[in-house]
Amino acid sequence: MNRRDLRKTALVGSALMFCAMGASAETLRWASTTDPQTMDPHAVNSAPVLSFLNNVYEGLVRRGQDMSIEPSLAASWEPLEGENGWRFNLREGVTFQNGAAFTAEDVMFSYQRASDEAADVRAWLAPASEARVVADFTTDFVTTAPNPLFPDSIANFMILDKDWAESNDAALPARDAENFATMNVNGTGPFTVATRDPGVRTTLVPNENWWDEVGHNITEAVFTPIGNSATGLAALLSGEIDFIQPIPLQDVALVEGRDGFQVLEGEETRVIMFGFGHEHETLLYSSDVTDSNPFADPRVRLAAAHAIDIASIDRVLFRGKIEPASQLVPAGISGFSEANQDRPAFDQDRARALLAEAGYPDGFSFGLKCPNDRYINDEALCRAAASMFAAVGLDAELSTGPVRDYWPQLREDDFDMYLLGWSPGTFDMEHPIRFLMHSQDDEKKLGSWNFGNYSNARVDELLPQIQQEIDPAARQTMIDEIIAITQEEVAYIPLYTQPLIWAAKDSVSLTQRADNFFMLRWVTVN
Amino acid sequence: MVYFILKRLVQSVFVMLAVAFLAFSLFRFVGDPITGVETSVADQERLRDELGLNDPFIFQFGRFTRDMLQGDFGFSYRTRQPVAEMIADRIPATLELGVVALLISLIVGIPAGVYTALRPRGVATQAILMTTLVGVSIPTFVIGIMLIFIFGVQLGWLPTFGRGGTIEIGGWETSLFTLEGWRALLLPALTLGVYQLTLTMRLVRAEMMEVMRSDYIRFAMARGVPMRKLHYRHALANTMVPVITIIGLQFGGVIAFSIVTESVFQWPGMGLLFLESIRFVDIPVMGVYLVVIAFFFVLVNLIVDLLYVAIDPRLRIRDVQ
Repeated sequence: MNRRDLRKTALVGSALMFCAMGASAETLRWASTTDPQTMDPHAVNSAPVLSFLNNVYEGLVRRGQDMSIEPSLAASWEPLEGENGWRFNLREGVTFQNGAAFTAEDVMFSYQRASDEAADVRAWLAPASEARVVADFTTDFVTTAPNPLFPDSIANFMILDKDWAESNDAALPARDAENFATMNVNGTGPFTVATRDPGVRTTLVPNENWWDEVGHNITEAVFTPIGNSATGLAALLSGEIDFIQPIPLQDVALVEGRDGFQVLEGEETRVIMFGFGHEHETLLYSSDVTDSNPFADPRVRLAAAHAIDIASIDRVLFRGKIEPASQLVPAGISGFSEANQDRPAFDQDRARALLAEAGYPDGFSFGLKCPNDRYINDEALCRAAASMFAAVGLDAELSTGPVRDYWPQLREDDFDMYLLGWSPGTFDMEHPIRFLMHSQDDEKKLGSWNFGNYSNARVDELLPQIQQEIDPAARQTMIDEIIAITQEEVAYIPLYTQPLIWAAKDSVSLTQRADNFFMLRWVTVN
Repeated sequence: MVYFILKRLVQSVFVMLAVAFLAFSLFRFVGDPITGVETSVADQERLRDELGLNDPFIFQFGRFTRDMLQGDFGFSYRTRQPVAEMIADRIPATLELGVVALLISLIVGIPAGVYTALRPRGVATQAILMTTLVGVSIPTFVIGIMLIFIFGVQLGWLPTFGRGGTIEIGGWETSLFTLEGWRALLLPALTLGVYQLTLTMRLVRAEMMEVMRSDYIRFAMARGVPMRKLHYRHALANTMVPVITIIGLQFGGVIAFSIVTESVFQWPGMGLLFLESIRFVDIPVMGVYLVVIAFFFVLVNLIVDLLYVAIDPRLRIRDVQ
């Protein structure tokens, strides 16, 4: 055998090896843009981390395929009698991946750990004033006020094993340096981390002793972060990965046009909107109106809303994949106001009339701020909106920048109008009301993303009542009132719900959940 | 000679300090590392205090240099891992990619340069020159994506991303000893090496043509020195001095600018780590990366200077005198 033959044999050998790898049906290789930065479920409150770790750790409750809340480590729960709070009856016979038994002590420990200053997720547990171990498998959470939504709001609060964390010096989330829990896991969930090379490759294997019925057929799952979307798409089309989330809108046709691949489309819960500098005295970026803030007048805000042609934005920028929005959550989310589902129509004459009525017959110029790497087509959207505004006399001076620069600008009130996307973390209307519609109140931690400080006394009054109301109908009536007020005053211009686009091989069947979380337990590979 | 090396090393410390200073003065403009939708304003302020982000720039820089000088490279804001470890983990990938890219450019570039210099009017020469002109004009990332498209997606011969078949030898994770490793390395190395290749080739060609016109070559020709010996022993050796300078200096650039190639191929090297760090405003990692890159530049320059002495006898003689 001469050298050339040898090389040929080696090539054939490697090709065979490659085929063999592709044929082993139970290995799932998937990619996403961002690597989870830690394996500690309490250290960082960010979607890539929570999405990934929901495969490994579990909470007291969890979300099903349709986002509904269902029992997980708690088998059932009921309101406490005689005080505000909830009792969780824990599931018995559950073990952590290291074999230790799961008990109420672990819940108590995780509560303390996750509500410590060192934990980034402590805001979730802020409504709770205390947790108590009642029995081996019973835990009480006492809340400062009646809180009907508390069980729903802790679906991502994951439970760690007390002994494991304490004996490995990971009793608190890593603050300055890493600790054991940054790289190692010990959850109760359906999968466990077999190997981890941060930023390069993480492999998961099923937890043989998982308490629930196994619905997947994966024996190994390999996750690779791929930052560059073109590289990710090439990896999918060349067969090196089985699934990728997300893919760019413009590549949908490319994937659909190929045999053996599928595109999964859904609506994310994120609503994209324009916000205003409500409390600004003057415009910051205007060349003609420098002594007042026209956006303080609701008629001007309504004029801006009427100037937007959402159908054209959908057709041209999003290939028909967006759902126009009338309020800050999409239909289907709890608290969605059925009574207020109309959005201001595209009506340029009405917009001009409103501007004239408000004293700006010739319009005015202002500054519009947008991120260029945060939402799908965000910069293109703002360019389109700027030209739509210009058509009615609102001369938008657009400036765009990366998101890491964008939030500081918004916090410093450096805008006349801005773009924002909001995904309701609790999947309830109360979330955007608390963060975006209540007046800014640092002490009570309300209105923290209400950059323009939209303020309405009635909204501020209703929010605590909504948070505490147990009766769904009475609660919805109050929410409807808030939505009616904010629509009338045009607190924001809700634009649309952002589409969610994943791509996979035909052989993979999976569930696309509206929060963009990817759950391995619903995946089957044929 | 020892004095010379020491002097260069001391100079390198100042170069690195200057780079760190420049880097730090720019970091204020990269954005705010503290984000988080549900983190309250008070908690954000507390975090900023803990990380020392509220201190004046000069304090932050002073702390960074002091810790660096003590060998403490700090911890990443994003992953909480030690920065030294994160960068050390990624160095093998970048160096192997850079070295293989350089080797490709030398192995192909030097013979091609010699050939095109000796046969300036040949059809093959014109074809090679045209091709390299294209190669030098197309941006790296376009070449990368084209290669991925042709060899990865259409033909399916080579992997399109990442590093494969790595084995660990004494703490150095290498992909040079497995077929799978080379398959993954080929496309990124080609992408990174194309510009080098064309540069090397054109440089060798220009120098060679210059040398071939010089008097001593003509005399040698007149004396009847065999053509082969004339070309490779006399002409090529004299060509190499400027070529080595440029190639050497370029190698620092190859390491530094592998960022683009690493991003296109998701190659887990330092450049990719740097890009991720920018996205998350991970200032400690960015700072250390830039200082390490400055160190590479200084080191490469030093090696180039030393190679000079080895190649050019005139420098050695002057040293003795």
